[in-house]
Amino acid sequence: MIDNKTFIIGGIVIALLIGVVAVFMASSDPDGLESTALVVQGQKELTGATPENAEIQEDPNGKFSYESPMPDYSLGERFGPLGGMVAIAAGTILALLIVVGAIYSIKIAGKATK
Amino acid sequence: MHIPDAFIPIPQGIVYWIIALVFVALALRWAKNEMSDEKIPIVAVLAAGIFALQSFNLPVSMGTSGHLVGGALAAIVLGSPFAAVFIIALVLIVQGVLFGDGGITTMGANIINMGVIGGFIGFYSFKGLMGMTRSMPVSAFLAAWLACLIPALAAAVEMFMAGTFPLEAGLLAMGIYHAIIGIVEGIVTIGVIYLIVNVRPDLVDVGVKRPAGA
Repeated sequence: MIDNKTFIIGGIVIALLIGVVAVFMASSDPDGLESTALVVQGQKELTGATPENAEIQEDPNGKFSYESPMPDYSLGERFGPLGGMVAIAAGTILALLIVVGAIYSIKIAGKATK
Repeated sequence: MHIPDAFIPIPQGIVYWIIALVFVALALRWAKNEMSDEKIPIVAVLAAGIFALQSFNLPVSMGTSGHLVGGALAAIVLGSPFAAVFIIALVLIVQGVLFGDGGITTMGANIINMGVIGGFIGFYSFKGLMGMTRSMPVSAFLAAWLACLIPALAAAVEMFMAGTFPLEAGLLAMGIYHAIIGIVEGIVTIGVIYLIVNVRPDLVDVGVKRPAGA
């Protein structure tokens, strides 16, 4: 049985490796929801390949719009795959820190109200 | 199945946010009362792992890709559906705000689908199947498969109510694509549970012991 430190470091290393592999091996096909949007919009057959020029038609009326700083897990074309790795690694570490930070905050707040 | 902002009108998004916040509040209460310090390492690793797995779009044929959700995994490993709500909600906030994966006004719907529905379906179907089969791999596979498929069908219904998809075609396509993605979800869920049971059996209680000799 490994100790907590080894478990956490090992877990983070595996997560980061998944992120690195994702940058190079992730499919460029649309995900299930996007594929469904293309199907219902008549741009793609249900079981067929996604045409290269297929693009989801969006109706922005009454919808919110937001530009994220690192869209599509990338730092932009200028930084290439390295930017993708940095983006996913940053997200992975941030997700971990936010979840652990939230737990400690809840615990500390809970003790303070006792 | 991260719903972008453009797929749901703002008023409907607000309704989903309100429902999601109720479950997030319950998840915070669960974390306060049930989360022991011993569980923190596994929660930390699950958060990192689920983020990474969700960023990895695997090809699933039919011109479609899919990534794992991890709701069933979190709920099974931590022994509560609220664990999934807690982790998935925070992961979705990072994804939506920083990476534009899932919208801001639709984040409530995404938390409901992947965290709440995925977590509850994953946890209770695992519990029920373990009672019937006494087999962790069978139970975890089916629970994870359902926790991928059912949230996708829920998303299709939400898309119908938003006027984005017709109901029948949306359910059919979402169902077919996520039934396939769910197979990968099931296999990875089994693998991760075995991995954790092997290295830290004290951190999980899923009714499976360390393999002999491990």
